[in-house]
Amino acid sequence: MRRSILSVGDWLALPVVAALIALCCAPLLILLAYSFFQVDFVTISHDLTLANYAKIAGSETYRSLIARAFGSALLVVALTAVIAYPVAWFIAKRVHAAKSTLLTLLLVPLYSGDLIRIFAWRVLLGAEGAINRSLMWLNVIDEPLSGLLFSPLATHIALTYNYLPFMVIGLWLAFESLDDRWLEAAADLGAPTHARFLRVILPLTVPGLVAGGLMVFVMVAGDYLTPQLLGGASGITIISAINDLFGTAFDWPLGSAIAWTMLSILMLCFGLGALAIRRSSLVAEDV
Amino acid sequence: MTRVATFWVYLVFGFMYLPIAMILLFSVNDADVMAFPIRGLTSAWYADILSDARLGGGFLTTLFVAFPVAILSTLFGAAAALALVFYPVRWRGLFAAALLLPFLVPRLILAVAQLILFKEVSVDRSLWTVIAGQSIIILPFSTLIIASVLIRLDRRLIEAAADLGASGRSSFRRVVLPLMGNGLLASWVIAFVLSSSEYVLTAFLSGREQPLSVLVASDFRFNLSPSLNALAVLIVFGNIALVVLAEAIRRRSGSKA
Repeated sequence: MRRSILSVGDWLALPVVAALIALCCAPLLILLAYSFFQVDFVTISHDLTLANYAKIAGSETYRSLIARAFGSALLVVALTAVIAYPVAWFIAKRVHAAKSTLLTLLLVPLYSGDLIRIFAWRVLLGAEGAINRSLMWLNVIDEPLSGLLFSPLATHIALTYNYLPFMVIGLWLAFESLDDRWLEAAADLGAPTHARFLRVILPLTVPGLVAGGLMVFVMVAGDYLTPQLLGGASGITIISAINDLFGTAFDWPLGSAIAWTMLSILMLCFGLGALAIRRSSLVAEDV
Repeated sequence: MTRVATFWVYLVFGFMYLPIAMILLFSVNDADVMAFPIRGLTSAWYADILSDARLGGGFLTTLFVAFPVAILSTLFGAAAALALVFYPVRWRGLFAAALLLPFLVPRLILAVAQLILFKEVSVDRSLWTVIAGQSIIILPFSTLIIASVLIRLDRRLIEAAADLGASGRSSFRRVVLPLMGNGLLASWVIAFVLSSSEYVLTAFLSGREQPLSVLVASDFRFNLSPSLNALAVLIVFGNIALVVLAEAIRRRSGSKA
């Protein structure tokens, strides 16, 4: 079969790889190059320097913004994991005919787009918004809760809402491949409910937890619109700082360096996560 | 335990649809403030939106972008899915990882990176740069949808075609292509929806002509009015109708195989 050097699959992949290189890899590499340049009044000097990275490492503001981005991401991963876990179990193990309908229903709100979903939360959470007005109407509170909108609370509610379906999908896949006979065996051997959960179900769904968690983590850390439009003063994030440096502040090299700092940390997390999934699935096969 | 879980599932699905229910409610509420209690029904906000020439123009611009984006990402997605599922491809793992890249890189970072690229090669920002940028970020979704259809295809059909003397090309044209048709259609529809609702990248790469999502975003920041609810409802239900259509198409291909 080795008549030509490239197989049919290679020929099919070729244009796709070309497009990915042209519009994804090349732009990111140019961004990397810019991160070693510097702004000289209004022009960009092409002498290579590590000054931008030194600036990030030395700046209290940028360090804390980066830490906050990943803190937020971890918090939302934890929230979505707790909320999604029973849902994923239910869809995988307690539903039969309606399975794909439920999954579709879960994904449908995603397709309304970031902007519209954020707008809806603004309507819900605002001082004149649905939740405040309803609580006042019901005489639960006398004046609107002002901390509802334009706060970290609003941001994290909306982030959890936005990325919950991804966590459900990750966990659902893990539950689908979980063999119920493990549970029966554990029960036969006298394991009480909590032991069955902690020592059988939880370890076997770790790959799903990590996969869903990684997706949520990456997307929350990189989310620009949600904190920007719902966070108020807390809406300044490391991602919005990149946006400002490319816009009004006109310091593309520093913006590029921050972007690559974020990308490097994200890639590291992703590598570790992939490793964790591989190891835990090896363990699962060994038992 | 099942009863508690059932309750929880209802709660979570309620949470997912609460924002949509809210904008639906306030889009027909006869009051300037978006708040309870509901005052009465009106279709005024919808009339506002439908008679707005600026938004109408934005909508046409969105269509102008979304059609080619949906075609491009479906074509490239089909090639990628075929290479991943059917035909052996060199460095398969690396290829799959590269396909995930546009999805995983934060949207804003990819947007500024593409902005620099277009500047370096002296291409002015226009709807064409939007089309190129959007196609690449939607590619992972198209690939996934088409691959999910291909995975369920019965490989024996292709073997049978080969046994009956069909060449690689004619078995592709007469067996694989008709069977993956539904996947292509579903991918096209989903790509269309994703393209029309994409904002961050679109805002960065568009020039003077701005699609609907960019116009909505500026209204949203500077000019919050109940008519935005009506617009949001039209967009949400338009998108939901298309997504449900795509799912129905994709599932039909499953039952046949």
